[in-house]
Amino acid sequence: MISYKSTGSPMIQQSDGVSLSAIVKPENIIFLDGTPSREEAVRRLAERILPQVDGVISRKALLDRISEVEKLNQVLESGFYIPHAKFPELDGFFAVLGIMQEGFTDPASGLRVKAALLLLSPHKPAFFQRHLNMLSLLSQTFQPELIEKLASLRDSSAAAAIITGR
Amino acid sequence: MAPSPRFKQVFVLSTAMLSFISFWKAAAVVLCDLGSSAYYAGGIAMNAFGPAFPWYVMAVMLFAGLMIMVYVESCAMFVRGGVYKVVNEAMGHSMAKISVSALIFDYMVTGPISAVSAGLYVSGLLYNVLPLLHIGWHVPPNVFAVFFAVLVTAYFWRENIKGVEESSDKNFKIMVFVSVVGAVLMGWSLLTVWQRGFNVPPFKLAFTKESMGWMVNFPWLRSIAIVGILMAFGHSILALSGLETLAQVYREIEDPKIKNLKKAAMLIFIFSLLFTGGLTFLASSIIPPAMVGGKYADNLLSGLALELNGPFWARLVLQFFVVVSGSLMLVGAVNTALVGSNGVLNRVAEDGILHDWFRHLHKKYGTTYRMINMVAISQIAVIILSRGNIYLIGEAYAFGVMWSLVFKTLSLIILRFNEELPRGWMFPLNIKLDKVYFPAGMIVVFLILLSASAINLFTKRIATISGLAFTAVFYAIFQISENMNRKKAKLYAESEDSDEMLNLRKEDDITTILPELSKPKKILVPVRNPNNLVHLKSVLETADDDTTDIIVLSAKIAKGAHLEGDQGTITEEDQDLFGPIVLMAEKYGKTVKPIFVFSNDPFYSMAQVAQAAGADEIVMGVSGSTGAEVQLERLAMAWGMLKKPGAPAKPLLARVVWEGRQMTYQLS
Repeated sequence: MISYKSTGSPMIQQSDGVSLSAIVKPENIIFLDGTPSREEAVRRLAERILPQVDGVISRKALLDRISEVEKLNQVLESGFYIPHAKFPELDGFFAVLGIMQEGFTDPASGLRVKAALLLLSPHKPAFFQRHLNMLSLLSQTFQPELIEKLASLRDSSAAAAIITGR
Repeated sequence: MAPSPRFKQVFVLSTAMLSFISFWKAAAVVLCDLGSSAYYAGGIAMNAFGPAFPWYVMAVMLFAGLMIMVYVESCAMFVRGGVYKVVNEAMGHSMAKISVSALIFDYMVTGPISAVSAGLYVSGLLYNVLPLLHIGWHVPPNVFAVFFAVLVTAYFWRENIKGVEESSDKNFKIMVFVSVVGAVLMGWSLLTVWQRGFNVPPFKLAFTKESMGWMVNFPWLRSIAIVGILMAFGHSILALSGLETLAQVYREIEDPKIKNLKKAAMLIFIFSLLFTGGLTFLASSIIPPAMVGGKYADNLLSGLALELNGPFWARLVLQFFVVVSGSLMLVGAVNTALVGSNGVLNRVAEDGILHDWFRHLHKKYGTTYRMINMVAISQIAVIILSRGNIYLIGEAYAFGVMWSLVFKTLSLIILRFNEELPRGWMFPLNIKLDKVYFPAGMIVVFLILLSASAINLFTKRIATISGLAFTAVFYAIFQISENMNRKKAKLYAESEDSDEMLNLRKEDDITTILPELSKPKKILVPVRNPNNLVHLKSVLETADDDTTDIIVLSAKIAKGAHLEGDQGTITEEDQDLFGPIVLMAEKYGKTVKPIFVFSNDPFYSMAQVAQAAGADEIVMGVSGSTGAEVQLERLAMAWGMLKKPGAPAKPLLARVVWEGRQMTYQLS
């Protein structure tokens, strides 16, 4: 799947495909009203994802880790934000999508953010290729047109259907 | 709304887009300069100290082999191998300025001596051919040579202003032609010698009053045999011109550089020995001594062709080919002198010891025309002052080449003790003392050089006076320039036209440079810190130059801007990044395409350039602030965002390289 090795010839294999339908489900989509700050939006997404990882990651560990990596995360030019963190305890992807009608202005880039997806991934070398593929797929999918369409919705099932194309 | 472009303008560093050449072509470039002395060295030496001249020309060519080895060591070091850089590293700024002044004087004389010699050869041919065509024109050879030399210099002056680069292909073709003519001349000469018998040239030296210079006042010194030998050696040393070209051409030798440099050096040595040494020897054996010093003093190899056994028409045809090949080579040496001096002056100007006034670029052609004007005007002045008398220019010669070689060899010896960094190759005969390789062999070479140079100071009066005067004038120019630049640096934070000085080409869009990336494989190497180029090194070590375009991308971060219109200028700090990149590319003999963009997201610019260029691979250095995983995550997101939904994209290999390790993943 991946190589993480001393300098030498790279050992690359085509990664397993990743799919949005596994992580973007109606129950994992929330609508955030008003104009929350970036930190507030991420905190609310973290609270929402907690039940999915209950018993595997503690609330404190989750919030601490997200707070730590949040400093490194950047809003994409498309106005889509993917706060993401890796945990060794996990075996698969976990995600929550927040859609905001008004959105917030990212203080670092000045970009307007109307969609943010909190992604948790396993912190395992063998999973990193899939993690990159998922980030790439999310960035490719959440283009400005789609984000504007999602921001006008109030129905998570409809939002999931638009995102996954079903 | 589609994402707004993160950058529009692209700057391409054209000075760094070196194309690399084979050792054959590298040798041809050097030989066009070094080998050209075969046409005049013998005649000048004969007039200086008599019929023993072939021994000394041969000795100089053997000594040239040693000097070529000195140059190989200097090229294979940790600094660029030219005189200025090496002397600067070993002996400091002032000595570097003196040695480069001497070197420029060498170029000032090399051009004229080659151009006048070519004119004399053509004149000699016309002298034989015009009567056969019933044309009764008679132009004195020296007058013709002056006109011819001025015209040739003016032509190359214009060509250099226009920025027509020296072509290694042309040099190679000239050298093939010269080799064929040389082989025929040598073969026919051997046949003639076989028929007539061989006269061993005498060893006895017969200096003229003129060639003894101030030594006339020291008869007791002349009676010492070794002094006489050194005097004759010094008069023959003009056959040594052109070695500095080896240091310049080394930049362009293809990978593996040291191996190819050694092959080129061997080729240069063998050719010079046979062509200059061998033909001079044969000329002395076949042409009567009186004619060597008289009728054929100005065109010795023409004389050799005409004095061979055979029908006159055949000898005339051979003379024609000798003149054509010789003129091509000599005229090439005129161009090499202009290109070389301009290159050296540019190098010292980069170090701030030549005022920026000299670096002003031509409005239309973008060349440093003021430097070219200065050199060309000086060369034309030398030609006119010589009145076509090649012996007179020969007398002025050797000061520059000798003293620049003295300083250079001494610097290499000093660096053996001061700098223990490994060399790609070392001059032989070394004694290992603790960590130092004591350069016994090179010290012997240095002592010979120093002795001959010191003797030349007394015997070659014109060279000493003009050389010292010129070196003093140029040293003063360097000193004044340096002082003025120092004051200027305090007044201005950055140069206003620094973009131009780096030969940066501005393009509106990345797509305009895509046609220049024609190789099947493309690797993008983002760079940010000149001290962190481990990843570029790893690419240069492994990439195949024939099949791979290496695009070196530097993105200047312009925060918060949507980057419409002009994004500003490139500062000196930005430019400093390119220096180590160019040096590294030169070291590995691989072509790189450095481009500079303004962006507000480096990962977006990487992904955009990679997708536009159809890159197969991105190789990044590790970031100390974020780490390799975060870099790959950001690249993956930028890569995904730029992909059109549903459109298949070429998979990209993303590598992060740091000392001893790498992470490699695929972005699809």
